[in-house]
Amino acid sequence: MSYYLLLSALLFAIGLYGVLARRTAILIFMSVELMLNSANLALAAFARGSGNLNGQAMALIVIALAAAEVAVGLGIVVAVFRSRQSTAVDDLAEFRG
Amino acid sequence: MSVFDLLMGALLVASALAAVTLKNAIHAGLALVGNFLALAVVYFALEAQFLGWIQIIVYAGAVMVLFLFVIMLLFDAKADVGPNPLPWMRPIAAALAALLFLALAYAYSSLGPIDPLADVKLAGGLPKALGAILYGGWLYPVLLVAVLLFAATVAAVVLVQPQIRKTRIKPQVLERDRELKEVGR
Repeated sequence: MSYYLLLSALLFAIGLYGVLARRTAILIFMSVELMLNSANLALAAFARGSGNLNGQAMALIVIALAAAEVAVGLGIVVAVFRSRQSTAVDDLAEFRG
Repeated sequence: MSVFDLLMGALLVASALAAVTLKNAIHAGLALVGNFLALAVVYFALEAQFLGWIQIIVYAGAVMVLFLFVIMLLFDAKADVGPNPLPWMRPIAAALAALLFLALAYAYSSLGPIDPLADVKLAGGLPKALGAILYGGWLYPVLLVAVLLFAATVAAVVLVQPQIRKTRIKPQVLERDRELKEVGR
């Protein structure tokens, strides 16, 4: 139980590394998915540890939110690619103040 | 901790590391599919059977198909996009990730032991038990998620439209407008 909590913390940290170190928008999105999944693992572990199904219900809602996030996020990626022929986030510097 | 736990942990960490470090985006996506499937197996072991199946159907199925589809659509499989303007970013990112892991581990260690299997009433996490909760106390969140999914679908369709089409005026209408103008003159 606490082993799975530690595992979820480790997966979350790996996802954070991916978000910070990756340089194309699609791969950053994949790392965000990894972080969402690690949070779900923690919720399932809590549900198991407390003998209460609410954790699993919340994990299901997180999965639905992640599906919505992927739909909008990939739509933005495709729109950016259409106008710039690239999804490298380093190029997206028009808003620099 | 059993052999199963150690094996699944190693599998999860290895596939996650592959997903964030591999150069080819398709390879990274496939590593992520492996991570999602291993996580589904862990859900089964944690008495969350419905969650495990949803994980396979929604994540390993729908979400990853969407990812791979976009990668192939954009021919953007190369993760390496020219020279890195921030070469010092990678070690900093690794240090920050390690710091976050240590902080989370410290927070979990202060939780104290939750006695395992004290009074487990999960009913295997099957839909029969989970549905009663989802459509009971969780009803309003479920309804809000439905609204959000609808809004996200509309937003995704609008975002990827090629361009806003200009209202086309029929040539006959233009002709009549010109004639009316001449008559008025």
